[in-house]
Amino acid sequence: MDAVTPKTDEQLIAEFQAGDEQGFVELVNRYKDRLVNFVYRFLNDMTDAEDLVQETFLKVYQKKHAYREIAKFSTWIYTIAGNLARSELRKRKRRKTYTMSSLSYDDNEFTPVDHGKDTEGIVFNSYAGEEIMKAINQLPEPFKTITILRDIQELSYEDISTILDIPMGTVKSRVNRARLKLQETLSYLRE
Amino acid sequence: MQNNECIYICEQFTEYHENSLLPELKAKVDAHLTVCSPCQAIYQELAQVIQKLHSLPTINTNPEFNDQLLSKLRDLQAESTWSRIYKSSYMRVASYAVAAGFIVAVGLNVWIDPISPINQGRVSSFAGTQKPNAINEETLASQTDSVVGNSSDSLELSPGTISSGSSTLQLVNDTQ
Repeated sequence: MDAVTPKTDEQLIAEFQAGDEQGFVELVNRYKDRLVNFVYRFLNDMTDAEDLVQETFLKVYQKKHAYREIAKFSTWIYTIAGNLARSELRKRKRRKTYTMSSLSYDDNEFTPVDHGKDTEGIVFNSYAGEEIMKAINQLPEPFKTITILRDIQELSYEDISTILDIPMGTVKSRVNRARLKLQETLSYLRE
Repeated sequence: MQNNECIYICEQFTEYHENSLLPELKAKVDAHLTVCSPCQAIYQELAQVIQKLHSLPTINTNPEFNDQLLSKLRDLQAESTWSRIYKSSYMRVASYAVAAGFIVAVGLNVWIDPISPINQGRVSSFAGTQKPNAINEETLASQTDSVVGNSSDSLELSPGTISSGSSTLQLVNDTQ
């Protein structure tokens, strides 16, 4: 009897490209939580994060034939979600009528975490969780993205290099600098 | 950070922590950390930061996520069907033809039948100087008299009297 091995992402997208929508459903179930975790760290709003992830899946649905098996499906979908998140942040920045720069010791804007819109179970009970999210939000954009991809999503350097379209050496050095900056910020927050 | 060597060592911390440094470089970092307490403190804090990052709670999507996505997909499909129809060159040409036909029809209507509802209040040169259906008051009065058969029933005015048919009323001037 054959052991049932789960299909790879690439097999599922190939099935979907061939017209089997079950492949798409399976990919949604595999990636929805991972992507919401990824996008939420940028937007700090659960409703917006879910909307954006749904938009990501709609793009996958519409542009399924744009995927070629030269890259991993995961890097493709993270790239789409990351681009949408960045574009949403740009829109927000334009809309923003005030900054809370006085709360930031750096020149970076501090985005308050909106716990009011959090769904149950998302609110970080531990002070450490809140503290670290605050520190991540204070990181400049490239460092924030790289921290989320590497330390929260735990993607490989190779995948991050593909998603962000930067050399692997740059990824490694940015990860290191981001961690040092986080450590610095956390020391500051503790004082 | 103390000096250039400290900066260099700190740059290796991520790979050092992930145990992916070349053995010679790893030995160099080990050696530095044993003698440099500020770098040692930074490294310890960094290790804690990494641990905290990895232990952040996982967020789950709400249970309606798939239903909401399905509904958006249906909207998208309905929208794309209409936009496909609209975008097809055949439909575009057809809609332009219908629009042009409508404009020509309206134009012809105004040209041929100036009394049409859309042309009320305007008199075309083709209508002549008199409206064909306009009622001539004089004609109507004479027609009415002839139908009644009493041409003398009309009021006649002469100085000092008003006569109507068989009766005459004389006006008396009190001032005289």
